[in-house]
Amino acid sequence: MNGAPTAEDVIGMLREEGIVELPADFPVHGDLFAEGMDSMAVMQLIVVVEERFGAVIGPEDAGRENLATPGDLARLIARKSGGAA
Amino acid sequence: MRADIVVLGAGSAGIAAAVTAARQGARVVLLERHGYAGGMGTASLVHTFCGLYLTGGEAPVPANPGFPAEMAERMLRATGAAGPVKMGRVWVLMQHPVEFVRIADELLKESGVDVLFHAEVLSAEREQEGWVVRAACRGGTVAVRGKALIDTSGDAVLADMLGAPSALADSPRLQRPAYVFGVQGVANGESGLPLAGRIVDGVRRGLLPAGALGLHFRASGRAAEIFGTIDLSGAEEGDYDPLDAACLTRLEQDGRATASRVIDFLKREAPGWEVAYVSHWPVRAGVRESRRWKGRHVLTGEEILSGTRHPDDIALASWPLELRETNRGPKLRYPEGDRAAGIPLGCLMPEGLEGVFTAGRCISCDHEAQASIRVMGTCFATGEAAGRSAAAYQE
Repeated sequence: MNGAPTAEDVIGMLREEGIVELPADFPVHGDLFAEGMDSMAVMQLIVVVEERFGAVIGPEDAGRENLATPGDLARLIARKSGGAA
Repeated sequence: MRADIVVLGAGSAGIAAAVTAARQGARVVLLERHGYAGGMGTASLVHTFCGLYLTGGEAPVPANPGFPAEMAERMLRATGAAGPVKMGRVWVLMQHPVEFVRIADELLKESGVDVLFHAEVLSAEREQEGWVVRAACRGGTVAVRGKALIDTSGDAVLADMLGAPSALADSPRLQRPAYVFGVQGVANGESGLPLAGRIVDGVRRGLLPAGALGLHFRASGRAAEIFGTIDLSGAEEGDYDPLDAACLTRLEQDGRATASRVIDFLKREAPGWEVAYVSHWPVRAGVRESRRWKGRHVLTGEEILSGTRHPDDIALASWPLELRETNRGPKLRYPEGDRAAGIPLGCLMPEGLEGVFTAGRCISCDHEAQASIRVMGTCFATGEAAGRSAAAYQE
């Protein structure tokens, strides 16, 4: 599946895949690392994002500035899917 | 050999039990299969003491005074660390396995425990007023007689030998094991999220096995030394059985193969990893869950999550339920209001057996509660209580 997800879609994906447990009212700008997302969870996240959206996240993209919030993640996935550089 | 108390296994619980009983004046023989004490914290290179502090708060508060607090102080003095670190909601004390070995030697010597390394317990039988335990040494056996026994084997080996009630979760539910190894030669190398991204990249390109996705690195606290930890799925090699030598052998070979391939890959591709090398392998894989005793009280996961206290509590279980039923990282379940539950003495006392105690990860509890009480900080506390109870019993 290609096509960019919304930040809400990202929250749903994180829950479905068990990547990080988020409270019911978790905001799209909330800090995922504060909720316990660690480097191992990020590895799972990268695999899932590639499977679901065809977005290839390389080592150079795997920083907090791209991964910290559902909104950041939605933007990264949009940038990395559909052939965008 | 003759003793008042024979302790089976010198992991974190066994050290605490033996030292505490000896300090009460009992004659203690401690039997250990490896050439040093510390168990998971040394032979398996598990380099964090969890369960030493209450969950939450702005500053660390010791969960259990006495032996656990003493170990924490000695470890902090040895590593020179300022204190525990907060990871999410929990406090963790980084410990170094090499220091742990030395601290254990000192504690056992100071308290007058007779330690027998290289002794794997084979049998235990009733004999007049006490027990006789036989252990395999190199090419032969040794017999040790005592009035009381403490099973700190981690695997409830004594329950099996005595035909006493025990429990073991079904293989798919057992907490997955970890394989921890030492790495040196990395100075200011790539780390954290970019390194995680690089490992995924290696898997994507077919250069690394999928098992590499269960790997993370953590600084050891010593210059240019890090630990790699692979959470093994236990599934690729057939049913996971922590009591089966053939299964453990396959897991450990798999762990070494994965670690070697990742380090070779990072040497070629990751900045700062050019001269990295594996500096040590563990003696054995880090087993999280194995056979448990069935005692006078069976502590449940619900009791942990509701912060239940009992009249005869001997320690607090301050670690959340850390479930690792897959190799995709831990799932943490916290008690209501972060209130630590109590562990009653009945969890250390097998039903219908006089003069037998247990401590550590094999105390009487269910699969869920075991995900809390297995951590070394809590094992120090249950070990101390078992040592004190056994010393009082044999008097």
